[in-house]
Amino acid sequence: MKREYKSVIAVAMLLFLGLGCGLSGPRPAWEVPPPPPVENPIVSSGDLHRTTLPNGLKVILLEDDRLPRVALGITLRRGAGSVDPSQAGVAELAVEVMQRGAGDRDALALAKVVEDVGASLSVASGWDTTTVSLSGLSIDQELLFEILEDVALRPRFDRKEFEKARAEQQAAIVAAQDEPATLIRWHVLRVLYEGHRYGQPRIGTEETLSRLDVDQTRAYWVDRFVPGNAIFWAVGDFDAAEWIPEIQRAFGGMSQGPVVENTPPAATRSPSERRIVVVDKPDLVQARIIVAHEGIARTESTRIAVDLMNDALGGSGFSSRLMKTIRSDEGLTYGVGSGFALRSEPGPFSVSTFTRVSKVRRVVDLVLEEMDAIRNARPVGEEELARFVSYNVGRFGLSLETSDAVLSSLVDLDVYDLPENSLDTYRSRVRAVTLEEVASAAELRLHPDRAAIVVLGPAAILVPELEDLGPVEVRQP
Amino acid sequence: MLLAVLFVLTFLEAIVAFAGSDDIVRDPVAGLVETRLENGLRVILLEDHRTPVVAFQIWVDAGSSDESFYTGIAHLFEHMMFKGSKNIPAEVHAQLINERGGRINAYTNRDVTVYHEDVTAESLPLVIDLEAERFAYLDISQETLESEREVVLEERRLRTEDSPEGRGFEALAALVWQAHPYRWPTIGWRSDVEAVTVAACRDFFDTYYAANNLTVVIVGDFETASTIDRIRRTFGRLRAADEIPRNPTSVIPQRGERRAEILFDVKIPLLYAGWHTPATGHPDGEALDVASQILSGGRSSRLYRSLVYEKEKALYAYGGYMELSDAGMFYAIAGARPGESLDEVEALFMAEIERVATDGVSEEEVARAKRQMEVGLVSGLATNHALASRIGREIVAFGRVRPLEERIDAIRSVTPEDVQRVVRTYLQPESRSVIHVIAARSDENSNAEVAR
Repeated sequence: MKREYKSVIAVAMLLFLGLGCGLSGPRPAWEVPPPPPVENPIVSSGDLHRTTLPNGLKVILLEDDRLPRVALGITLRRGAGSVDPSQAGVAELAVEVMQRGAGDRDALALAKVVEDVGASLSVASGWDTTTVSLSGLSIDQELLFEILEDVALRPRFDRKEFEKARAEQQAAIVAAQDEPATLIRWHVLRVLYEGHRYGQPRIGTEETLSRLDVDQTRAYWVDRFVPGNAIFWAVGDFDAAEWIPEIQRAFGGMSQGPVVENTPPAATRSPSERRIVVVDKPDLVQARIIVAHEGIARTESTRIAVDLMNDALGGSGFSSRLMKTIRSDEGLTYGVGSGFALRSEPGPFSVSTFTRVSKVRRVVDLVLEEMDAIRNARPVGEEELARFVSYNVGRFGLSLETSDAVLSSLVDLDVYDLPENSLDTYRSRVRAVTLEEVASAAELRLHPDRAAIVVLGPAAILVPELEDLGPVEVRQP
Repeated sequence: MLLAVLFVLTFLEAIVAFAGSDDIVRDPVAGLVETRLENGLRVILLEDHRTPVVAFQIWVDAGSSDESFYTGIAHLFEHMMFKGSKNIPAEVHAQLINERGGRINAYTNRDVTVYHEDVTAESLPLVIDLEAERFAYLDISQETLESEREVVLEERRLRTEDSPEGRGFEALAALVWQAHPYRWPTIGWRSDVEAVTVAACRDFFDTYYAANNLTVVIVGDFETASTIDRIRRTFGRLRAADEIPRNPTSVIPQRGERRAEILFDVKIPLLYAGWHTPATGHPDGEALDVASQILSGGRSSRLYRSLVYEKEKALYAYGGYMELSDAGMFYAIAGARPGESLDEVEALFMAEIERVATDGVSEEEVARAKRQMEVGLVSGLATNHALASRIGREIVAFGRVRPLEERIDAIRSVTPEDVQRVVRTYLQPESRSVIHVIAARSDENSNAEVAR
């Protein structure tokens, strides 16, 4: 396996060096050194406006008149991670109820006023954020602003709507039993973070949902929506100079209050020793496999080195070692990837894939072997690092094609209190990463010896296949 | 926030502009440059320097409905296009693009196969050279076919065999399109994918990957003249085919409802239903789109309000108009809540369709649906990738790109009477096909269809 992998890299290098079989006429582009990437400024000067209202509300506005659209919203620096595990699901329930009535409008009236102008309203929560947003045509900006004010400042939290939303969320939890990809992720969270908020699905469990009431959903929003914990943002075709006084009028009067504590520290070493869990789904012909352990926080200082290491392992699609070995060479899967879930506290690192039931053991062995090899036998080399530096620099430029994407990155930086100029410095920070830093990232952040191995599929076939790796725990879905 | 008077003026001005002139929404496709090489290759270029990004797509006018012996070969073949050519080893094409930060992928559907790359501007020459290389000198070996066949079988397990939704839709297409080649799944029947040969792959390539069956679309930051030169130099060597064969079977009229059940380990029983509708580009297309918006577009839509919100019988319920080159299908999809009867969900769903046929729809609903569709068209202008996709799709389907104005005019001309008429005409109980995906009865523990 090792030799084969290197041979492809070698061929690619030969091609770069111009030793491939040439075509007639000028040399093809793969035979000449790549031109330097185009490095456009992230934001044209004059388009980005930042300010902070006297009450502490942060404002980030990005003007872009290329299309007659506008998106605006309020993001809070707290999300599903900031609630007690016994209330798991309250964040998702709160944001759903907020879309079902605000100000003078009930659920239907709110849906109609938004949809009448072809706009969309979203209230959503992540682990670390809660966001109300609207997008639509810029000719409707006054209306969109008014709806944002209503939903953020005057949500109704109607009891009847709460009951309906809860019934729907409970049904969605049952529906996840039919979705192998969701189901296995929930089991992985339980294995890694038992007792911590990260150990339960963001949408909660049937049990936690059954205990919630409408006042808890209201408290979820009200306790977190204090000016010092919020960012007002907008992007698109609007006039920032006209908006700032409007933002002050609408939200400047909110008084400062205490901010709810963020997610408590999560396990820094989990699992502490290897665990093998089979989730029994006898009817599946394809088993899901996740190999996982604790990862890193969003604010981890060595994050870029960890990213580069992960790109080499399994984070870069067809350029990654895992994809090469498991899909391209052996045809064992349609897809395999690895990644670190970046949150305020270390979320899981996981390698995730699927294969026919008869090949599960082979795939598990290959995943563990590649995780081990990048730490020991085959560390990331100079040429490989150069390829992933180029991958990240190029992908960064591509990912910021739209102003919406730029704005969302700027808000993300603010949520995690990272430097405002992080986008401007990103490419040079990627280029500065050394081989030693990547090696250290693999050493410190990958733990094949104690990773949890979670497999979803027919236990009767899978357990005998996995038993010699350690004791196998069988769980019901 | 803004002065009310100013707002009203802006509103009126913009609406006018939105309806007609290009002051507010400029449709970039007005600047298309179209070239045809001597071998018949169609090249559509749209130069736009606002962001240093380029979208490149090759549209092959061949999809699963062009298959004649092994179903699934069009899609399996799409995978083989990544497995190396005369001068490029397997997977290296994708790696070279990827490692400069580009995004590369491909997809196959019933009508077309599309290879697409999004890159920063400096990588366009590399993309052109690599694409021309594989279209000219693809290398198909027994060894790579064997490993890729396994990959595709994994894809089939993922998307269909272990997926209640995949099973439901596969069964629906087979029931609706009894005769037409749209009846088989794009990924192919398992036995066919298992049997495809190298010779059949070569034959498929020779038959359908001819220059005069391809359209290259490039949108973004490049120079038109030098790009055309490069395409001429590289793609110019592709051969043309004398004839591109097409399956002759057309859709046969349906006389009477068709029903089938799929037994599967589901907690949420699923409803799939389909009706025959016209092929893409038909004058009734916009009215069918408006009907689907009124039924399914957002929380104010009829299906959401009735099945999900008020009666709380379904977890989700929606319908839509799927337009293909030879035929269309209006489909209905719903998932019953745990413990609710799928028959009841179906009855409520059909009652909503019947209500449109009998009582029609309101001006207000039609206006809302049209506005949603128009905003959708504007959003489709946001990225080079979306623009290239629109151009490719329209060129292959209609031989031209329909300007935004034409689309908006067609949407605006839809009346409530049109919506009622198309629902009455096409969504009749006698011409529908219905699939229920339901849990096996207690005495049948495993899914009989799945061989282990």
